[in-house]
Amino acid sequence: MIERRDRRPSWWLIGILLIVVLFVLLPIYWLVVATTKNDTTLFGNNPFVPNTVGNVGSNFSALFTTQGGIFGRWLVNSVIYAGVTALLTTYLSAITGVAISKFRFHGRRLLIAVIIGSFMVPNTVLIVPLFILEHGLHLTNTYEGVILPLIVFPFGVYFMSVYSADAVPDTLLEAARVDGARIVRVVHQITLPLVVPGMVTLFLIAFIGVWNNYFLPLVLIGSSRLYPLTVGLEIWLSTINSPGVGRTLYLQVITGSFVSILPMLILFPVLQKYIARGLTLGAVVGE
Amino acid sequence: MTSSDIASPSTFQQSRLGLEGSAAGTRKSAAKKRLRNNAGLGPLLLVVPFALLFVLFVVLPIVLSLVQSFKSPLSGRFVGLTNYKYAIGLGDFWRGVERVIYFGVIQVVIMIVLALILALVLDSPRCRGRRAFTTIFFLPFAVPSVIAAIMWGFLLSPQLDHLLHVSAINPLNPRVVIYSIVVITIWEFVGYNMTLYLASLTSVSAELSDAAHIDGATEWDIAFRIKLPLIRRMIALTVILSILGSLQLFNEPSILSNLTPIGSSYTPNLLIYNTAFNFNNVPVAAAESTILAILIISGALMFRVIVRQRRGGAGPQTAALSTGGL
Repeated sequence: MIERRDRRPSWWLIGILLIVVLFVLLPIYWLVVATTKNDTTLFGNNPFVPNTVGNVGSNFSALFTTQGGIFGRWLVNSVIYAGVTALLTTYLSAITGVAISKFRFHGRRLLIAVIIGSFMVPNTVLIVPLFILEHGLHLTNTYEGVILPLIVFPFGVYFMSVYSADAVPDTLLEAARVDGARIVRVVHQITLPLVVPGMVTLFLIAFIGVWNNYFLPLVLIGSSRLYPLTVGLEIWLSTINSPGVGRTLYLQVITGSFVSILPMLILFPVLQKYIARGLTLGAVVGE
Repeated sequence: MTSSDIASPSTFQQSRLGLEGSAAGTRKSAAKKRLRNNAGLGPLLLVVPFALLFVLFVVLPIVLSLVQSFKSPLSGRFVGLTNYKYAIGLGDFWRGVERVIYFGVIQVVIMIVLALILALVLDSPRCRGRRAFTTIFFLPFAVPSVIAAIMWGFLLSPQLDHLLHVSAINPLNPRVVIYSIVVITIWEFVGYNMTLYLASLTSVSAELSDAAHIDGATEWDIAFRIKLPLIRRMIALTVILSILGSLQLFNEPSILSNLTPIGSSYTPNLLIYNTAFNFNNVPVAAAESTILAILIISGALMFRVIVRQRRGGAGPQTAALSTGGL
């Protein structure tokens, strides 16, 4: 008789995982605790013991009133940058991806080669070139200047083409007897509804990516009214060393950081599954 | 390693995309044939918007940047390779390159090993609470690297941490801050890599592991002799992506430079940024960008060749993808 694989819980293994849990949660715990401090206790007390909950309120009101409440503006900007970009890139990737996986057309091979090739281009080295272009087009310091280049998302196109290859039956498009310009309408009415789950995943990945972006808006945006959260908080952080103003902004940076990650911390357990599925889709099937 | 570089490795499925004939592709249905034939203008209309934006925001910037890199920063006249010669002769640039390579080697090895251990543990039949653990480990993926650097920077700053202050340990000291950045970037990306491994493990290993067990393999054998080789392509992929990310290190040192004096050329990207926007020398920054791009692309290609040779077969199609495109 063959002995079955041991499935009893191993406290050894679970112990390893718990140690890593501590590592992952440590800075987040520190941040939450720090929002309960004031200007004195932030520097004096044990960084892992909360001060008083009363400080949270005053830290939040300081966050939203400092410099005329500009933090609220940054929050709105981040929502605009991430939301608009994610919507547009999801749509653009969907129609392009469907076209690649379901139709034959001139230049299709070239397009696929370009998408694969662009995976190799280190994206941060495109930032100075992009500044040169946008400076010439007077696109720097505008919402469009940040949003438009971020819409071009080769991974999104790749993802949607793989997704629609499975999700859209060829017979369906055949039944629709499409040709010429009517394809565009048929794709919108019949095909896109079938790939909505993939689009949701892509939207989430794009939204998080733009929400987290820092380098691109740092270079393209000069006016503080148009900063996203990441750039705004860095600018506040950079004043910490200037005598006089500096010390007082510590708590705004801390509370602002907390506000920046709070929505995701709440939503992540629900969304995690979709995001992970999207990121691993192409990789797993090829194995 | 910017968190904007949510690099997702992918095997571009040429067969499924119909680029080349596959086993399935040999029995092309009549329907598919007709789809192939009716092509024409329609599908082109669908891809034109993407193609135009790609040319405008990827191809054109590269061209303009190349043009700029041959111009004089002062007169704007073409000066040949002067900017390149200047950039290549710049000690700061190469010290930055050395630094990110050193950083990359340490960071990538520790992170990949840790991610593999976590994935193997979570994939073991003796593990419990998989879903909760996976969610927690993956959580930093949703935290902007700017915020990660701020949290860790404050946490490791002797100014704010009484304990560090008293013990006179300063993890942000310019000489050791690179190891703090290693810790921060591991924190950011270990769960992401673990997620990729776990997905490829669970898609292949359950039946195989059971079969191996019946053949007398221990759990240890199963983990190291069966599971690890099964996901070696994925490991190669994540290593390439992580190296690419390391060489582009910017966000974390940029944030930490507010808390510790690491200078304006700590990493190549930091130098490029400061050259362009603090010293207003866009042509030299453009030349530096070109050199860095060449270094990174050739590094990635070299790694691919090594991986291919060792396997003696076709390597994985790498796809260094970034969320948001930039």
